[in-house]
Amino acid sequence: MIVVKDLVRRYGTHTAVDRLSFTAQPGEIVGLLGPNGAGKTTTMRILTGFLPPTAGSVQVGGFDVQTDSLEVRRRVGYLPERVPVYPDMTVRGYVLFWARLRGVPRPAAAVEAVLKRFDLLDRQHKLVRSLSKGLRQRLGLAQALVHNPPVVILDEPTIGIDPGQVIEVREVVKSLRQEHTVLFSSHILSEVEQVCDRVVILHRGRMVAAGTPEVLGRQMKPGTHLYVALGGKAPAEIKKLLQKLDGVHTVREQGAGFVISSHGERDQRAAVTALSARHGLPLLELRPIELSLEDIFLTLLEKG
Amino acid sequence: MLTIWIIFRREVAQYFASPLAYLIAAAFLLLTGITFNNDVALSITVKPVEPALIPDLLAEIMVLIAPLLTMRLLAEEHREGTVELLLTAPIADSSIVIGKFLSAWAYFTFLLALTLLYQFILVNISQPDIAHTIAAYLGIWLYGGATLAVGLLFSATTENQILAAFLSLITLLVLYFGDSAGQIVANLDVAAILFNLTLRGHYAPSFSIGVVRAEDVVYYAGVMAVALFIAIRLLESKRWRG
Ligand SMILES: Nc1ncnc2c1ncn2[C@@H]1O[C@H](COP(=O)(O)OP(=O)(O)OP(=O)(O)O)[C@@H](O)[C@H]1O
Ligand SMILES: [Mg+2]
Repeated sequence: MIVVKDLVRRYGTHTAVDRLSFTAQPGEIVGLLGPNGAGKTTTMRILTGFLPPTAGSVQVGGFDVQTDSLEVRRRVGYLPERVPVYPDMTVRGYVLFWARLRGVPRPAAAVEAVLKRFDLLDRQHKLVRSLSKGLRQRLGLAQALVHNPPVVILDEPTIGIDPGQVIEVREVVKSLRQEHTVLFSSHILSEVEQVCDRVVILHRGRMVAAGTPEVLGRQMKPGTHLYVALGGKAPAEIKKLLQKLDGVHTVREQGAGFVISSHGERDQRAAVTALSARHGLPLLELRPIELSLEDIFLTLLEKG
Repeated sequence: MLTIWIIFRREVAQYFASPLAYLIAAAFLLLTGITFNNDVALSITVKPVEPALIPDLLAEIMVLIAPLLTMRLLAEEHREGTVELLLTAPIADSSIVIGKFLSAWAYFTFLLALTLLYQFILVNISQPDIAHTIAAYLGIWLYGGATLAVGLLFSATTENQILAAFLSLITLLVLYFGDSAGQIVANLDVAAILFNLTLRGHYAPSFSIGVVRAEDVVYYAGVMAVALFIAIRLLESKRWRG
Protein backbone atom coordinates (compact mmCIF):
# COMPACT_ATOMS: atom_id res chain seq x y z
CA MET A 1 0.00 0.00 0.00
CA ILE A 2 2.84 2.34 0.86
CA VAL A 3 6.14 1.93 -0.94
CA VAL A 4 8.92 4.36 -0.13
CA LYS A 5 12.14 3.98 -2.04
CA ASP A 6 15.36 5.92 -1.54
CA LEU A 7 13.44 8.94 -0.37
CA VAL A 8 15.47 12.11 0.09
CA ARG A 9 14.16 15.46 1.24
CA ARG A 10 16.30 18.53 1.70
CA TYR A 11 15.41 21.91 3.13
CA GLY A 12 18.00 24.12 1.52
CA THR A 13 21.26 22.40 2.35
CA HIS A 14 19.86 20.54 5.35
CA THR A 15 18.94 16.93 4.61
CA ALA A 16 15.86 16.08 6.67
CA VAL A 17 15.27 12.63 5.17
CA ASP A 18 18.15 10.68 3.73
CA ARG A 19 17.69 7.65 1.44
CA LEU A 20 14.79 6.21 3.37
CA SER A 21 13.11 3.03 2.12
CA PHE A 22 10.29 1.07 3.68
CA THR A 23 6.91 -0.45 2.84
CA ALA A 24 3.58 -0.91 4.55
CA GLN A 25 1.05 -3.59 3.60
CA PRO A 26 -2.73 -3.42 3.94
CA GLY A 27 -3.85 -4.36 7.41
CA GLU A 28 -0.55 -3.35 8.92
CA ILE A 29 0.36 -0.69 11.42
CA VAL A 30 3.82 0.65 10.77
CA GLY A 31 5.47 2.88 13.32
CA LEU A 32 7.93 5.64 12.57
CA LEU A 33 10.01 6.02 15.67
CA GLY A 34 12.57 8.71 16.23
CA PRO A 35 13.60 11.59 18.45
CA ASN A 36 12.91 15.25 17.65
CA GLY A 37 14.10 16.27 14.23
CA ALA A 38 14.46 12.68 13.00
CA GLY A 39 12.38 13.38 9.91
CA LYS A 40 9.09 11.73 10.87
CA THR A 41 6.89 14.69 10.02
CA THR A 42 8.79 15.37 6.82
CA THR A 43 8.32 11.76 5.69
CA MET A 44 4.61 11.87 6.45
CA ARG A 45 4.15 15.17 4.68
CA ILE A 46 5.67 13.67 1.57
CA LEU A 47 3.38 10.63 1.79
CA THR A 48 0.31 12.85 2.03
CA GLY A 49 1.28 14.88 -1.02
CA PHE A 50 1.89 18.02 1.01
CA LEU A 51 5.62 18.21 0.33
CA PRO A 52 7.35 16.97 -2.81
CA PRO A 53 10.35 14.69 -2.34
CA THR A 54 13.77 15.96 -3.40
CA ALA A 55 14.66 12.53 -4.77
CA GLY A 56 13.44 8.96 -4.64
CA SER A 57 9.99 7.55 -5.23
CA VAL A 58 6.95 7.24 -3.03
CA GLN A 59 3.88 5.25 -3.97
CA VAL A 60 0.60 5.06 -2.13
CA GLY A 61 -1.98 2.53 -3.32
CA GLY A 62 0.02 2.09 -6.51
CA PHE A 63 0.04 5.81 -7.34
CA ASP A 64 3.10 7.99 -7.36
CA VAL A 65 2.86 10.99 -5.02
CA GLN A 66 4.34 13.28 -7.62
CA THR A 67 2.69 12.25 -10.84
CA ASP A 68 -0.68 11.18 -9.38
CA SER A 69 -0.91 13.45 -6.39
CA LEU A 70 -4.72 13.73 -6.49
CA GLU A 71 -5.17 9.95 -6.57
CA VAL A 72 -2.84 9.60 -3.60
CA ARG A 73 -4.62 12.34 -1.67
CA ARG A 74 -7.96 10.65 -2.30
CA ARG A 75 -6.67 7.53 -0.54
CA VAL A 76 -5.08 9.10 2.50
CA GLY A 77 -6.46 10.28 5.82
CA TYR A 78 -4.03 12.52 7.65
CA LEU A 79 -3.77 13.82 11.17
CA PRO A 80 -0.95 16.37 11.34
CA GLU A 81 1.19 16.77 14.43
CA ARG A 82 -0.65 19.87 15.60
CA VAL A 83 -4.37 19.19 15.03
CA PRO A 84 -5.48 21.84 12.53
CA VAL A 85 -8.86 23.29 13.44
CA TYR A 86 -11.24 26.04 12.45
CA PRO A 87 -12.02 27.41 15.91
CA ASP A 88 -15.21 29.16 14.80
CA MET A 89 -16.90 26.12 13.30
CA THR A 90 -19.03 23.62 15.12
CA VAL A 91 -17.70 20.11 15.63
CA ARG A 92 -20.18 18.75 13.13
CA GLY A 93 -19.63 21.55 10.63
CA TYR A 94 -15.88 20.97 10.76
CA VAL A 95 -16.04 17.25 10.03
CA LEU A 96 -18.77 17.78 7.44
CA PHE A 97 -16.61 20.30 5.63
CA TRP A 98 -13.77 17.82 5.24
CA ALA A 99 -16.15 15.03 4.29
CA ARG A 100 -17.61 17.14 1.49
CA LEU A 101 -14.24 18.38 0.31
CA ARG A 102 -13.03 14.79 0.01
CA GLY A 103 -16.09 13.81 -1.97
CA VAL A 104 -17.76 11.48 0.54
CA PRO A 105 -20.96 10.24 -1.18
CA ARG A 106 -23.31 10.62 1.79
CA PRO A 107 -21.49 13.14 3.97
CA ALA A 108 -24.10 13.63 6.67
CA ALA A 109 -24.32 9.91 7.44
CA ALA A 110 -20.53 9.50 7.36
CA VAL A 111 -20.10 12.40 9.75
CA GLU A 112 -22.70 11.06 12.12
CA ALA A 113 -21.00 7.66 12.15
CA VAL A 114 -17.53 9.02 12.76
CA LEU A 115 -18.69 11.41 15.49
CA LYS A 116 -20.39 8.51 17.17
CA ARG A 117 -17.29 6.41 16.92
CA PHE A 118 -15.21 9.09 18.64
CA ASP A 119 -17.87 9.87 21.16
CA LEU A 120 -18.33 13.44 19.96
CA LEU A 121 -21.99 13.18 19.04
CA ASP A 122 -23.24 14.96 22.15
CA ARG A 123 -20.84 17.82 21.45
CA GLN A 124 -21.54 18.10 17.73
CA HIS A 125 -23.08 21.57 18.00
CA LYS A 126 -20.32 22.98 20.20
CA LEU A 127 -17.72 25.29 18.72
CA VAL A 128 -14.36 23.68 18.05
CA ARG A 129 -12.64 26.41 20.08
CA SER A 130 -14.36 25.16 23.22
CA LEU A 131 -12.91 21.63 22.98
CA SER A 132 -10.18 20.43 25.30
CA LYS A 133 -6.93 19.17 23.88
CA GLY A 134 -7.95 15.54 24.15
CA LEU A 135 -11.26 16.18 22.41
CA ARG A 136 -9.48 18.10 19.68
CA GLN A 137 -7.28 15.09 19.14
CA ARG A 138 -10.38 12.94 18.71
CA LEU A 139 -11.82 15.53 16.34
CA GLY A 140 -8.59 15.32 14.37
CA LEU A 141 -8.97 11.54 14.16
CA ALA A 142 -12.61 11.92 13.11
CA GLN A 143 -11.53 14.26 10.33
CA ALA A 144 -8.83 11.83 9.19
CA LEU A 145 -11.22 8.87 9.02
CA VAL A 146 -14.49 10.40 7.85
CA HIS A 147 -13.85 9.49 4.22
CA ASN A 148 -12.82 5.96 5.17
CA PRO A 149 -9.41 6.15 3.49
CA PRO A 150 -7.40 2.97 2.85
CA VAL A 151 -4.27 4.67 4.18
CA VAL A 152 -4.22 6.51 7.49
CA ILE A 153 -1.25 8.67 8.48
CA LEU A 154 -1.10 9.84 12.08
CA ASP A 155 1.69 12.14 13.18
CA GLU A 156 2.35 11.72 16.91
CA PRO A 157 -1.34 11.43 17.79
CA THR A 158 -0.65 10.83 21.49
CA ILE A 159 1.47 13.88 22.13
CA GLY A 160 0.27 16.41 24.69
CA ILE A 161 -2.82 14.60 25.94
CA ASP A 162 -3.45 13.03 29.33
CA PRO A 163 -2.63 9.35 30.01
CA GLY A 164 -6.25 8.18 29.87
CA GLN A 165 -6.69 9.72 26.45
CA VAL A 166 -3.37 8.31 25.31
CA ILE A 167 -4.62 4.80 26.00
CA GLU A 168 -7.85 5.59 24.18
CA VAL A 169 -6.04 6.89 21.11
CA ARG A 170 -3.78 3.83 21.07
CA GLU A 171 -6.85 1.61 21.14
CA VAL A 172 -8.32 3.55 18.23
CA VAL A 173 -5.13 3.14 16.25
CA LYS A 174 -5.07 -0.58 16.93
CA SER A 175 -8.71 -0.87 15.86
CA LEU A 176 -7.79 0.57 12.47
CA ARG A 177 -5.67 -2.44 11.62
CA GLN A 178 -8.44 -4.48 9.98
CA GLU A 179 -9.47 -1.99 7.35
CA HIS A 180 -6.60 0.39 6.86
CA THR A 181 -2.90 0.64 6.33
CA VAL A 182 -1.67 2.80 9.17
CA LEU A 183 1.50 4.82 9.48
CA PHE A 184 1.96 6.06 12.99
CA SER A 185 4.76 8.19 14.35
CA SER A 186 5.98 8.51 17.89
CA HIS A 187 9.05 9.18 19.91
CA ILE A 188 7.98 6.80 22.67
CA LEU A 189 9.50 3.37 22.33
CA SER A 190 7.00 1.49 24.51
CA GLU A 191 4.08 3.01 22.64
CA VAL A 192 5.36 1.84 19.29
CA GLU A 193 6.01 -1.60 20.77
CA GLN A 194 2.40 -1.82 21.92
CA VAL A 195 0.69 -0.50 18.84
CA CYS A 196 2.71 -1.38 15.77
CA ASP A 197 3.27 -4.52 13.74
CA ARG A 198 6.44 -3.14 12.32
CA VAL A 199 8.72 -0.30 13.29
CA VAL A 200 11.04 1.91 11.29
CA ILE A 201 13.53 3.76 13.42
CA LEU A 202 14.77 7.08 12.15
CA HIS A 203 17.61 9.16 13.38
CA ARG A 204 18.66 12.39 11.68
CA GLY A 205 16.76 11.39 8.57
CA ARG A 206 18.34 7.96 8.25
CA MET A 207 16.81 4.61 8.94
CA VAL A 208 18.86 3.04 11.70
CA ALA A 209 16.79 -0.09 12.19
CA ALA A 210 13.56 -1.71 11.06
CA GLY A 211 11.61 -4.80 11.97
CA THR A 212 8.98 -6.17 14.30
CA PRO A 213 8.93 -4.68 17.79
CA GLU A 214 10.06 -8.00 19.33
CA VAL A 215 13.14 -8.30 17.19
CA LEU A 216 14.01 -4.65 17.62
CA GLY A 217 13.40 -4.83 21.34
CA ARG A 218 16.05 -7.50 21.62
CA GLN A 219 18.47 -5.64 19.38
CA MET A 220 17.89 -2.40 21.13
CA LYS A 221 18.40 -3.55 24.66
CA PRO A 222 21.97 -4.66 24.68
CA GLY A 223 22.11 -6.10 28.14
CA THR A 224 20.07 -5.07 31.13
CA HIS A 225 20.41 -2.23 33.51
CA LEU A 226 19.63 -2.25 37.21
CA TYR A 227 19.50 0.39 39.83
CA VAL A 228 20.88 -0.98 43.12
CA ALA A 229 21.11 0.67 46.53
CA LEU A 230 22.81 -1.28 49.31
CA GLY A 231 23.50 -0.15 52.86
CA GLY A 232 25.88 -1.29 55.55
CA LYS A 233 29.20 -0.46 53.90
CA ALA A 234 31.02 2.44 52.34
CA PRO A 235 30.01 3.11 48.74
CA ALA A 236 33.48 2.38 47.42
CA GLU A 237 33.43 -1.10 48.91
CA ILE A 238 29.95 -1.81 47.62
CA LYS A 239 31.02 -0.71 44.19
CA LYS A 240 33.89 -3.19 44.26
CA LEU A 241 31.56 -6.00 45.27
CA LEU A 242 29.13 -5.17 42.49
CA GLN A 243 31.88 -5.03 39.91
CA LYS A 244 32.89 -8.54 40.80
CA LEU A 245 29.45 -9.93 39.89
CA ASP A 246 29.57 -12.24 36.90
CA GLY A 247 28.65 -10.52 33.61
CA VAL A 248 28.55 -6.98 34.94
CA HIS A 249 30.58 -4.65 32.76
CA THR A 250 29.98 -1.21 34.22
CA VAL A 251 28.99 0.12 37.61
CA ARG A 252 28.14 3.79 37.74
CA GLU A 253 27.29 5.80 40.84
CA GLN A 254 23.91 7.47 40.69
CA GLY A 255 22.29 9.18 43.66
CA ALA A 256 22.51 6.99 46.73
CA GLY A 257 23.12 3.83 44.72
CA PHE A 258 24.59 2.40 41.54
CA VAL A 259 23.51 1.58 38.03
CA ILE A 260 24.93 -1.75 36.97
CA SER A 261 24.93 -2.79 33.32
CA SER A 262 25.44 -6.35 32.26
CA HIS A 263 25.87 -8.16 28.99
CA GLY A 264 23.15 -9.93 27.09
CA GLU A 265 19.78 -10.89 28.40
CA ARG A 266 21.13 -11.80 31.76
CA ASP A 267 19.07 -10.69 34.74
CA GLN A 268 21.31 -9.76 37.64
CA ARG A 269 18.58 -9.32 40.21
CA ALA A 270 19.08 -12.77 41.74
CA ALA A 271 22.83 -12.20 41.88
CA VAL A 272 22.36 -8.89 43.68
CA THR A 273 20.01 -10.32 46.32
CA ALA A 274 22.41 -13.21 46.87
CA LEU A 275 25.24 -10.72 47.30
CA SER A 276 23.22 -8.76 49.81
CA ALA A 277 22.45 -11.90 51.84
CA ARG A 278 26.03 -13.18 51.69
CA HIS A 279 27.57 -10.00 53.04
CA GLY A 280 24.70 -9.06 55.32
CA LEU A 281 24.11 -5.81 53.52
CA PRO A 282 20.56 -4.45 53.69
CA LEU A 283 19.06 -4.16 50.21
CA LEU A 284 17.48 -0.69 50.04
CA GLU A 285 16.45 -0.59 46.44
CA LEU A 286 16.59 -2.80 43.36
CA ARG A 287 14.85 -2.04 40.10
CA PRO A 288 15.39 -2.44 36.39
CA ILE A 289 16.03 0.74 34.42
CA GLU A 290 14.47 1.50 31.03
CA LEU A 291 16.88 2.98 28.58
CA SER A 292 15.78 6.27 27.14
CA LEU A 293 15.20 6.43 23.43
CA GLU A 294 18.26 8.61 23.08
CA ASP A 295 20.42 5.95 24.78
CA ILE A 296 19.02 3.34 22.44
CA PHE A 297 19.77 5.45 19.41
CA LEU A 298 23.28 5.97 20.63
CA THR A 299 23.81 2.25 21.02
CA LEU A 300 22.27 1.55 17.63
CA LEU A 301 24.44 4.16 16.01
CA GLU A 302 27.55 2.80 17.69
CA LYS A 303 26.71 -0.66 16.43
CA GLY A 304 25.92 0.47 12.88
CA MET B 1 -16.54 23.54 -9.48
CA LEU B 2 -18.05 21.61 -6.62
CA THR B 3 -15.01 22.15 -4.44
CA ILE B 4 -15.09 25.89 -5.14
CA TRP B 5 -18.68 25.84 -3.96
CA ILE B 6 -17.81 23.90 -0.78
CA ILE B 7 -15.00 26.35 0.08
CA PHE B 8 -17.20 29.30 -0.83
CA ARG B 9 -20.02 28.14 1.42
CA ARG B 10 -17.78 27.71 4.44
CA GLU B 11 -16.24 31.14 3.99
CA VAL B 12 -19.55 32.90 3.51
CA ALA B 13 -20.81 31.27 6.70
CA GLN B 14 -17.65 32.51 8.44
CA TYR B 15 -18.40 36.07 7.31
CA PHE B 16 -21.85 35.91 8.76
CA ALA B 17 -20.47 34.52 12.02
CA SER B 18 -17.65 37.02 12.32
CA PRO B 19 -17.94 40.07 14.59
CA LEU B 20 -15.42 41.94 12.46
CA ALA B 21 -17.55 41.49 9.35
CA TYR B 22 -20.56 42.89 11.21
CA LEU B 23 -18.49 45.79 12.45
CA ILE B 24 -17.43 46.51 8.90
CA ALA B 25 -21.03 46.26 7.73
CA ALA B 26 -22.10 48.70 10.45
CA ALA B 27 -19.37 51.21 9.58
CA PHE B 28 -20.25 50.79 5.93
CA LEU B 29 -23.91 51.58 6.50
CA LEU B 30 -23.12 54.44 8.86
CA LEU B 31 -20.79 56.15 6.39
CA THR B 32 -23.02 55.64 3.38
CA GLY B 33 -26.08 56.66 5.41
CA ILE B 34 -24.57 59.94 6.57
CA THR B 35 -23.34 60.77 3.08
CA PHE B 36 -26.70 59.94 1.57
CA ASN B 37 -28.52 62.00 4.15
CA ASN B 38 -26.35 65.05 3.49
CA ASP B 39 -26.79 64.74 -0.24
CA VAL B 40 -30.55 64.42 -0.01
CA ALA B 41 -30.65 67.47 2.27
CA LEU B 42 -28.61 69.48 -0.23
CA SER B 43 -30.67 68.28 -3.16
CA ILE B 44 -33.76 69.95 -1.74
CA THR B 45 -32.29 73.41 -2.22
CA VAL B 46 -28.87 73.52 -3.81
CA LYS B 47 -28.33 70.81 -6.46
CA PRO B 48 -29.88 67.69 -7.91
CA VAL B 49 -29.08 64.30 -6.32
CA GLU B 50 -25.81 62.69 -7.32
CA PRO B 51 -26.57 59.32 -8.95
CA ALA B 52 -23.10 57.88 -8.26
CA LEU B 53 -22.93 59.19 -4.72
CA ILE B 54 -22.65 55.88 -2.84
CA PRO B 55 -20.33 54.16 -5.33
CA ASP B 56 -18.03 57.21 -5.32
CA LEU B 57 -17.77 57.04 -1.56
CA LEU B 58 -17.13 53.29 -1.68
CA ALA B 59 -14.34 53.78 -4.20
CA GLU B 60 -12.48 55.59 -1.45
CA ILE B 61 -13.29 53.43 1.52
CA MET B 62 -12.76 50.09 -0.23
CA VAL B 63 -9.04 50.80 0.06
CA LEU B 64 -9.53 50.33 3.79
CA ILE B 65 -12.36 47.81 3.81
CA ALA B 66 -10.92 45.31 1.35
CA PRO B 67 -7.85 44.54 3.51
CA LEU B 68 -10.06 44.05 6.55
CA LEU B 69 -12.45 41.76 4.72
CA THR B 70 -9.75 39.58 3.22
CA MET B 71 -6.87 39.51 5.73
CA ARG B 72 -8.20 36.38 7.44
CA LEU B 73 -8.87 34.28 4.37
CA LEU B 74 -5.53 32.55 3.87
CA ALA B 75 -3.48 33.91 6.79
CA GLU B 76 -5.69 32.04 9.24
CA GLU B 77 -5.28 28.78 7.35
CA HIS B 78 -1.54 29.20 7.62
CA ARG B 79 -1.61 30.04 11.30
CA GLU B 80 -3.96 27.25 12.33
CA GLY B 81 -2.23 24.72 10.10
CA THR B 82 -5.47 23.87 8.29
CA VAL B 83 -3.67 24.73 5.07
CA GLU B 84 -1.92 21.38 5.49
CA LEU B 85 -5.27 19.59 5.35
CA LEU B 86 -6.50 21.73 2.46
CA LEU B 87 -3.39 21.03 0.45
CA THR B 88 -3.62 17.30 1.15
CA ALA B 89 -7.30 17.13 0.22
CA PRO B 90 -7.99 15.83 -3.29
CA ILE B 91 -8.72 19.28 -4.69
CA ALA B 92 -6.95 21.79 -6.93
CA ASP B 93 -5.05 24.58 -5.18
CA SER B 94 -6.79 27.08 -7.42
CA SER B 95 -10.26 26.15 -6.17
CA ILE B 96 -9.21 27.09 -2.62
CA VAL B 97 -8.18 30.57 -3.71
CA ILE B 98 -11.11 31.08 -6.06
CA GLY B 99 -13.68 29.85 -3.53
CA LYS B 100 -12.30 32.22 -0.93
CA PHE B 101 -12.17 35.14 -3.33
CA LEU B 102 -15.75 34.58 -4.42
CA SER B 103 -16.89 34.49 -0.80
CA ALA B 104 -15.31 37.88 -0.12
CA TRP B 105 -16.81 39.28 -3.27
CA ALA B 106 -20.19 37.85 -2.35
CA TYR B 107 -20.03 39.47 1.07
CA PHE B 108 -19.11 42.78 -0.55
CA THR B 109 -22.01 42.33 -2.96
CA PHE B 110 -24.26 41.81 0.03
CA LEU B 111 -23.04 45.08 1.57
CA LEU B 112 -23.51 46.83 -1.75
CA ALA B 113 -27.03 45.44 -2.03
CA LEU B 114 -27.86 46.97 1.35
CA THR B 115 -27.11 50.42 -0.05
CA LEU B 116 -29.70 49.89 -2.77
CA LEU B 117 -32.13 50.89 -0.08
CA TYR B 118 -30.98 54.49 -0.56
CA GLN B 119 -31.66 54.22 -4.26
CA PHE B 120 -35.19 53.02 -3.59
CA ILE B 121 -35.73 56.03 -1.37
CA LEU B 122 -34.42 58.29 -4.11
CA VAL B 123 -36.71 56.81 -6.71
CA ASN B 124 -39.62 57.67 -4.44
CA ILE B 125 -38.68 61.24 -3.66
CA SER B 126 -37.15 62.44 -6.93
CA GLN B 127 -36.28 61.39 -10.47
CA PRO B 128 -32.71 60.09 -10.31
CA ASP B 129 -30.81 59.06 -13.42
CA ILE B 130 -31.22 55.33 -12.95
CA ALA B 131 -28.97 54.30 -15.85
CA HIS B 132 -26.18 56.43 -14.40
CA THR B 133 -26.64 54.81 -11.00
CA ILE B 134 -26.60 51.32 -12.46
CA ALA B 135 -23.36 52.05 -14.33
CA ALA B 136 -21.77 53.37 -11.15
CA TYR B 137 -22.86 50.31 -9.19
CA LEU B 138 -21.48 48.00 -11.85
CA GLY B 139 -18.23 49.93 -11.71
CA ILE B 140 -17.89 49.79 -7.95
CA TRP B 141 -18.79 46.12 -7.94
CA LEU B 142 -15.90 45.35 -10.28
CA TYR B 143 -13.63 47.82 -8.48
CA GLY B 144 -14.47 46.13 -5.17
CA GLY B 145 -13.69 42.73 -6.64
CA ALA B 146 -10.27 43.95 -7.74
CA THR B 147 -9.42 45.38 -4.30
CA LEU B 148 -10.57 42.15 -2.61
CA ALA B 149 -8.39 40.08 -4.93
CA VAL B 150 -5.40 42.22 -3.94
CA GLY B 151 -6.30 41.75 -0.26
CA LEU B 152 -6.50 37.98 -0.73
CA LEU B 153 -3.10 37.97 -2.41
CA PHE B 154 -1.48 39.49 0.67
CA SER B 155 -3.38 37.16 2.95
CA ALA B 156 -1.51 34.35 1.17
CA THR B 157 1.87 35.84 1.99
CA THR B 158 1.84 35.56 5.78
CA GLU B 159 0.21 33.90 8.75
CA ASN B 160 -0.13 37.28 10.45
CA GLN B 161 -3.51 38.81 9.63
CA ILE B 162 -2.54 42.32 10.71
CA LEU B 163 0.54 42.24 8.54
CA ALA B 164 -1.54 40.98 5.61
CA ALA B 165 -4.02 43.82 6.06
CA PHE B 166 -1.23 46.35 6.35
CA LEU B 167 0.55 45.18 3.21
CA SER B 168 -2.62 45.19 1.15
CA LEU B 169 -3.59 48.61 2.49
CA ILE B 170 -0.27 50.03 1.33
CA THR B 171 -0.58 48.37 -2.05
CA LEU B 172 -4.13 49.60 -2.52
CA LEU B 173 -3.12 53.11 -1.52
CA VAL B 174 -0.41 53.03 -4.15
CA LEU B 175 -2.86 51.65 -6.70
CA TYR B 176 -5.32 54.34 -5.75
CA PHE B 177 -3.12 57.41 -5.49
CA GLY B 178 -0.32 56.19 -7.74
CA ASP B 179 -1.07 58.78 -10.39
CA SER B 180 -0.01 61.55 -8.00
CA ALA B 181 3.51 60.64 -9.09
CA GLY B 182 2.51 61.92 -12.52
CA GLN B 183 1.81 65.31 -11.02
CA ILE B 184 5.24 65.35 -9.47
CA VAL B 185 7.04 64.70 -12.76
CA ALA B 186 4.78 67.33 -14.32
CA ASN B 187 4.58 65.50 -17.63
CA LEU B 188 1.06 65.15 -18.99
CA ASP B 189 1.74 61.97 -20.93
CA VAL B 190 3.32 60.19 -17.99
CA ALA B 191 0.50 61.40 -15.79
CA ALA B 192 -2.08 60.04 -18.21
CA ILE B 193 -0.39 56.65 -18.37
CA LEU B 194 -0.10 56.44 -14.61
CA PHE B 195 -3.69 57.49 -14.18
CA ASN B 196 -4.70 54.66 -16.46
CA LEU B 197 -2.90 52.20 -14.23
CA THR B 198 -4.66 53.24 -11.03
CA LEU B 199 -7.87 51.85 -9.62
CA ARG B 200 -9.66 55.17 -9.73
CA GLY B 201 -8.32 55.93 -13.20
CA HIS B 202 -10.77 53.33 -14.45
CA TYR B 203 -13.61 54.44 -12.26
CA ALA B 204 -13.72 58.22 -11.91
CA PRO B 205 -13.70 59.17 -15.61
CA SER B 206 -16.16 56.47 -16.65
CA PHE B 207 -18.42 54.50 -14.30
CA SER B 208 -18.68 57.43 -11.94
CA ILE B 209 -20.20 59.63 -14.64
CA GLY B 210 -22.41 56.85 -15.94
CA VAL B 211 -20.21 55.59 -18.76
CA VAL B 212 -19.42 51.88 -19.17
CA ARG B 213 -16.23 51.32 -21.15
CA ALA B 214 -14.94 47.87 -22.10
CA GLU B 215 -11.37 48.84 -21.23
CA ASP B 216 -12.35 49.54 -17.62
CA VAL B 217 -14.11 46.20 -17.27
CA VAL B 218 -11.02 44.53 -18.74
CA TYR B 219 -8.77 46.45 -16.33
CA TYR B 220 -10.60 45.31 -13.20
CA ALA B 221 -10.96 41.76 -14.51
CA GLY B 222 -7.25 41.84 -15.25
CA VAL B 223 -6.35 43.01 -11.74
CA MET B 224 -8.47 40.21 -10.29
CA ALA B 225 -6.96 37.59 -12.57
CA VAL B 226 -3.38 38.64 -11.87
CA ALA B 227 -3.89 38.91 -8.11
CA LEU B 228 -5.63 35.53 -7.92
CA PHE B 229 -2.98 33.92 -10.07
CA ILE B 230 -0.26 35.18 -7.75
CA ALA B 231 -2.26 34.07 -4.71
CA ILE B 232 -2.55 30.55 -6.14
CA ARG B 233 1.17 30.47 -6.80
CA LEU B 234 1.90 31.66 -3.27
CA LEU B 235 -0.30 28.91 -1.87
CA GLU B 236 1.47 26.35 -4.01
CA SER B 237 4.82 27.59 -2.79
CA LYS B 238 3.76 26.48 0.68
CA ARG B 239 4.35 22.98 -0.59
CA TRP B 240 7.97 23.76 -1.30
CA ARG B 241 8.63 25.61 1.90
CA GLY B 242 6.88 23.07 4.13
N1 LIG C 1 9.94 23.75 6.77
C1 LIG C 1 11.20 23.44 7.13
N2 LIG C 1 12.22 24.19 6.75
C2 LIG C 1 13.49 23.89 7.10
N3 LIG C 1 13.84 22.83 7.85
C3 LIG C 1 12.86 22.02 8.28
C4 LIG C 1 11.48 22.29 7.95
N4 LIG C 1 10.73 21.31 8.52
C5 LIG C 1 11.59 20.50 9.17
N5 LIG C 1 12.86 20.92 9.02
C6 LIG C 1 14.07 20.25 9.58
O1 LIG C 1 14.08 18.91 9.12
C7 LIG C 1 14.46 18.01 10.15
C8 LIG C 1 13.39 16.96 10.33
O2 LIG C 1 12.22 17.58 10.84
P1 LIG C 1 10.87 16.81 11.11
O3 LIG C 1 9.88 17.83 11.50
O4 LIG C 1 10.54 15.96 9.95
O5 LIG C 1 11.25 15.89 12.35
P2 LIG C 1 10.31 15.05 13.31
O6 LIG C 1 10.87 13.69 13.36
O7 LIG C 1 8.90 15.18 12.91
O8 LIG C 1 10.56 15.76 14.70
P3 LIG C 1 9.55 16.05 15.92
O9 LIG C 1 9.62 14.85 16.81
O10 LIG C 1 10.16 17.26 16.56
O11 LIG C 1 8.22 16.30 15.35
C9 LIG C 1 14.69 18.86 11.39
O12 LIG C 1 16.07 19.06 11.51
C10 LIG C 1 13.99 20.16 11.08
O13 LIG C 1 14.67 21.23 11.68
MG1 LIG D 1 7.25 15.89 13.81
